[in-house]
Amino acid sequence: MAGSIYHHLLSRGVTRRDFLKFCSATAATLGLSSSMVPQIAEALEKKERPSVVWLHYSECTGDSESVLRASKPSIAQVILDIVSLEYHETIMAPAGHAAEKSLHDIITKKKGKYIAVYEGAVPTLDGGVYCFIGGHKAIDSCKEVAAGAMANIAVGNCACFGGVAAAAPNPTKCVGIQDIIGGTVLNIPGCPMNPENFTAVIVHFLTFGSLPALDSLGRPLFAFGKLIHNNCERRPHFDQGQFVRQWGDMGHRLGWCLYEVGCKGPMAFQNCPTIRWNEGTSWPVQAGHPCIACATPNNWDAAYPFYKRLEGLPGVGWQANADKIGLGIAVGTAAAVAAHGVIRAAKRGKVSKTNDEGHE
Amino acid sequence: MAKLVVDPVTRIEGHLRIEAQVEGGKIVDAWAAGTMWRGIETILKGRDPRDAWTFVSRVCGV
Repeated sequence: MAGSIYHHLLSRGVTRRDFLKFCSATAATLGLSSSMVPQIAEALEKKERPSVVWLHYSECTGDSESVLRASKPSIAQVILDIVSLEYHETIMAPAGHAAEKSLHDIITKKKGKYIAVYEGAVPTLDGGVYCFIGGHKAIDSCKEVAAGAMANIAVGNCACFGGVAAAAPNPTKCVGIQDIIGGTVLNIPGCPMNPENFTAVIVHFLTFGSLPALDSLGRPLFAFGKLIHNNCERRPHFDQGQFVRQWGDMGHRLGWCLYEVGCKGPMAFQNCPTIRWNEGTSWPVQAGHPCIACATPNNWDAAYPFYKRLEGLPGVGWQANADKIGLGIAVGTAAAVAAHGVIRAAKRGKVSKTNDEGHE
Repeated sequence: MAKLVVDPVTRIEGHLRIEAQVEGGKIVDAWAAGTMWRGIETILKGRDPRDAWTFVSRVCGV
């Protein structure tokens, strides 16, 4: 259908094959079975792109970057073209009064038909004077935009829960969008949010006409229903007591568990280990850095200090014996590591010898 | 004498307001204002220096 998402994608050079691959990948992200792929494809083939108004408050634009930055053009088009971005200060052409006019036009002419996306926290101290856009306070702007939106989506930890701006002592008394506008706000936290989760939410909305199921914090369950620790590729090392003790030590080089150097994966809910980042390339823990629980409310204090071992989480018993596990297995591990080292040294010796001789 | 205001300045990261005073078709004075403040410096006080990068990298995400 002309004007549909599919039609728009075709006109931008996306092939049918890429389109169906996108539908399948999104179904997987949403936790839907592959039998739902035709339904998703049909919705995108028939539905028009939803109008999106994207507002920036006390933030760093990292979530916009997350959505805008993609290494492959075809995927970038998919993400960008699936919505009609009618107002977005970072990428829109109009400025000043013209920008203000575009926003006003959309929220009046498309009342009840646009999706409002909020990036950044809302400062409340001194009546909210710490964030102005076009002479309007963030605290007033979000109420005005939210009133006519068919769905309100907060992206990034700041818009969801106050984020880094609300870290102690929260100098401007920042809060998340939900605290200001009330009602249902779909929160896609993360610092920044993962663009695949955003796209999946939009696709769900188009396919089923509703927002996906949410947890008690307003986060979609498909993305925030599972503990990072339970899905982590380094989990076997945790279970075997193989921990990184120091940056660059042998365990770190071998990809062991980062719990002892501060990983907050055991308190963090997000789908990073499965969807990862930069089109599935990697994610912080895979790259060798501890999780900082960036999708958790108040992580800048609750998960802090980031390089100190997580302790005392109520209801989780394994912290008490993590050292014990570590100590108990350390002896066996040391022996195994020593043996491994010998094998490696032997191999290296062999390789260098053959290299010296000039043949394989 | 006219006053020109551009707010928001778009295609940048952050919130910027420009005011310019125009006389006879020429700008004779101008003011720029960042219209958002979070106090990241204040948030950093008393924290472990090893954690500082996680906070300051959120000053600008572009």
